[in-house]
Amino acid sequence: MKLDNMFKKTRLPRRKGVGFADTSADTAKPEIPEGLLRKCNMCKAAIMTEDVEAGGYICPKCGGYFRVHAYRRIEMITDENTFEEWDRGLATKNPLKFKGYEEKLNALQEKTGLDEAVVTGKAKIGGVETVLGVCDGRFLMASMGEVVGEKIAKAVERATEQRLPVIFFTCSGGARMQEGIVSLMQMAKTSAALKRHSDAGLLYITVLTDPTTGGVTASFAMLGDVILAEPKALIGFAGPRVIGQTIGQKLPAGFQRSEFLLEHGFIDGIVERFQVKETLSLLLKLHADHPMESGTAGKPMVVSREWRDTKTVSAWERVLASRKKDRPVGKDYIDLLFTDFTELHGDRYFADDKAVIGGIARFHGMPVTVLAQEKGRDTKENIQRNFGMPSPDGYRKSLRLMKQAEKFHRPVICFVDTPGAFCGIEAEERGQAEAIARNIYEMSALKVPVLSIVIGEGGSGGALAMATADEVWMLENSVYSILSPEGFASILWKDSAKAQEAAEVMKLTAADLYEQGIVEQVLPEPPDYTVQNMKEVTDLLEKRIEGFLEQYVNIDTEALTQRRYERFRKM
Amino acid sequence: MINKVLIANRGEIAVRIIRACREMRIETVAVYSQADREALHTKLADEAICIGPAPSKESYLSMEQIISATVISGADAIHPGFGFLSENSKFAELCQQCNITFIGPDAQVIAKLGNKQEARNTMAAANVPVIPGSTEAIYDAQTGAQIAREIGYPVIVKAALGGGGKGMRVAYTEEEFEQSFQTAQKETELAFGDNTMYIERYVQNPRHIEFQILADAYGNVIHLGERDCSIQRNHQKMIEESPSIALTDSLREEMGQAAVRAAKAAGYVNAGTIEFLLDSSGKYYFMEMNTRIQVEHPVTEWVTGIDLVKEQIRIASGKKLSYTQEEVRLTGHAIECRINAENPKKNFRPSPGTVTDMYLPGGKGIRIDSAIYSGYTIPPYYDSMVAKLIVWAKNRGEAIRKMQSALGEVIIEGIDTNVDYQYEILNHPDYLSGNIDIEFIEKMQGEIV
Repeated sequence: MKLDNMFKKTRLPRRKGVGFADTSADTAKPEIPEGLLRKCNMCKAAIMTEDVEAGGYICPKCGGYFRVHAYRRIEMITDENTFEEWDRGLATKNPLKFKGYEEKLNALQEKTGLDEAVVTGKAKIGGVETVLGVCDGRFLMASMGEVVGEKIAKAVERATEQRLPVIFFTCSGGARMQEGIVSLMQMAKTSAALKRHSDAGLLYITVLTDPTTGGVTASFAMLGDVILAEPKALIGFAGPRVIGQTIGQKLPAGFQRSEFLLEHGFIDGIVERFQVKETLSLLLKLHADHPMESGTAGKPMVVSREWRDTKTVSAWERVLASRKKDRPVGKDYIDLLFTDFTELHGDRYFADDKAVIGGIARFHGMPVTVLAQEKGRDTKENIQRNFGMPSPDGYRKSLRLMKQAEKFHRPVICFVDTPGAFCGIEAEERGQAEAIARNIYEMSALKVPVLSIVIGEGGSGGALAMATADEVWMLENSVYSILSPEGFASILWKDSAKAQEAAEVMKLTAADLYEQGIVEQVLPEPPDYTVQNMKEVTDLLEKRIEGFLEQYVNIDTEALTQRRYERFRKM
Repeated sequence: MINKVLIANRGEIAVRIIRACREMRIETVAVYSQADREALHTKLADEAICIGPAPSKESYLSMEQIISATVISGADAIHPGFGFLSENSKFAELCQQCNITFIGPDAQVIAKLGNKQEARNTMAAANVPVIPGSTEAIYDAQTGAQIAREIGYPVIVKAALGGGGKGMRVAYTEEEFEQSFQTAQKETELAFGDNTMYIERYVQNPRHIEFQILADAYGNVIHLGERDCSIQRNHQKMIEESPSIALTDSLREEMGQAAVRAAKAAGYVNAGTIEFLLDSSGKYYFMEMNTRIQVEHPVTEWVTGIDLVKEQIRIASGKKLSYTQEEVRLTGHAIECRINAENPKKNFRPSPGTVTDMYLPGGKGIRIDSAIYSGYTIPPYYDSMVAKLIVWAKNRGEAIRKMQSALGEVIIEGIDTNVDYQYEILNHPDYLSGNIDIEFIEKMQGEIV
């Protein structure tokens, strides 16, 4: 039915003055006042400015992020009235005598109320004092000219002097074209200042916001001890348009977005805007000095029984127990033994390997770095975590976090549970052996206490790469060996079916290894060990870890590394 | 000056408003969601603008879209209809900021009357009876009992966060109170995780009586008599009539005066409705004020001869009321039945779909406000009311017979409707005798199903 045509005769002819009201000479024309509505760049919808501002500059319709002005950002993340601005009004030079540049800067200064593309200063976040810098994209797309570089370098230098952490919120189109080579040199200037800051053992965090590209990414943005990013932010060196044109290809969806960077190991985490303050505050606190609160580890453990030697349970039974599907996994120990666990991702080279979980946490109040080889709790997670078989990226991530622990004088606690390092083409391509070797090499001389606990399978080099420690402990039914009994049988007897036999001769149980002096402690397990009864184990473990830390944090660095050297030297 | 009105609504009320505008030589702009491309209001208006996807939240409730559509189309006023944004004070304020005439009361008035406690206080101050009740939160039975004594039995104990009948208990005597309070409170804790209660007088078997008022910007307020909307299911009205046989001339006069006082006290301008509960002894209590046109406005239009939507537009454009109180006369009796696309046999499950064939009655004293046509597909996203059948006759008995006859003629094929259910009500002895209250449907339900 064509209703449109039917109703044609009812339509009003278009003419002026058909209105019902008389000629009263009133009223302005309806119009939307300036600033009442704005458009979301992501979903293109018109939205109320008020709603955008009240909602942390997040589109209420599509959840997309608006860019935030520098001063507004400072307001959002700092404790009220604690921000003290530094170096406002540094004069911009015009090194290339670029025509019209000064006029442009003046106009922008007037329009934005900013003096340049970055605001720096000092503030408190969650009560912790920090140096802070925030880029503002309204000012020539926050490109880095001399003043930006200078303000950043000065802020970092003052932070080094005053022994304060630094947090930068980055956003930039890259170099400031109008300043030519001088702009390029800012990359070196800022990076050099940050190197000194880092060498002084101080914390540097960056929060990458949309868009962070070019010379800023390739200098101070990517140098954080911890690098965070807002969701879906564009982060890269060359811009996607340039890359696309150069290689003549269509770029994949999500290319150069935060999620892409996380997957590729370049950022520690993606943080929703409304959680940024809380996350920063936690990270700052985790890097402030906190000695261990002693005596908090509950009552002395009543161990239900001692661990049993090899004679009562066969080695093969132990192998099976160590592989049991419902056996507690790394994350279970992290959840029960630590607080404030903040996971950090990525090796900063290629990927974030999900077979290794790592991050900062507190043990009885004391910040520690925790690493765990993680198998996952169900089939879906098993697949995601590659059944706990780390790739080179996993070892490199753990090494990165161990070096970070060393910088901040945090003890390292590793949970070992892997059938072995991942055996595959990609792993070899990226240097599995190199990654393992490098871990063993660096761990042997790490200047902080390292404790490794084998909680399930200790598969060969893949395990040792996270167990070159001051002490290695094992759970009663965990195993630790040169390779799997199946592999052993296959190499020696050309028959992997003889795994059971192999297990008995390999001396791979906790009891065997204790006897051989390979491990320092064996912890008893309840029968049918699962998460349901794991508290029995973690209570004991907690007590023992407390003892370990009490003993080891007080050993001076040289003695500590010497001891570790000897531990392996005598084997 | 209103030359062009954007109707921020859909369905039969949008059609109703378009018709009024057309008679007034005012241009109309319809807004529609992607699901309403084929809707009658979209087709009928002089212009139509799509304002978003099917879900109301992204279209008919999107203030940004509607305001933008208004400015783009050059409309100078918005008629919000009922539901959607009609009682949203923020929207009214937004219109004001954009120099758009909002056909309804001021934003501040909407906000004030939308706040239950504030509305109640305003009414009490204007000497409009409100249901006696506790003014503060109650947490224990002892305090409650004391307050209940002051209020007078029977009382109802309600959850402060209540809704859906949960956490509600009636106590008829002081002896019963403690038990009722504790049961209600326990239920409240379970349902809402909160134990804040309040108490008010329990109005037994009340009728829902509402008064239509009109107020202009010059302080003139009149009432257009009452509507009896006692026939409701789950607080959804099904049948409305005017006048109510429960009101004597003097009670009508008294309640009408109260309604006018209420509107004046609120500083109300435009058309509005004051809802009362009326108990069997003739005591009445203010419930709330609806700051918009009502679904059931046609029954008032018919007994008064006043076009309410036209009056709304006149008032919004700064005109004085066209009538004085003395000129308002209630003549005859009007009844409205709401026709919904739903299946009463399946717990009133909505029944969207295509109307394959349709015949609607006509003749003297029959009015149909509808948004469906043969071949139209009712989308599943919105309210299930698709038509209103309104009849008028000299008296109630004749009006009922006319309605019975008209309902019998309604043919809507392709979807389920509540027409037969309405017919049952119209034939129920209690309805026929006028012995109705707001629990009528609940009581009747057992008899017919």
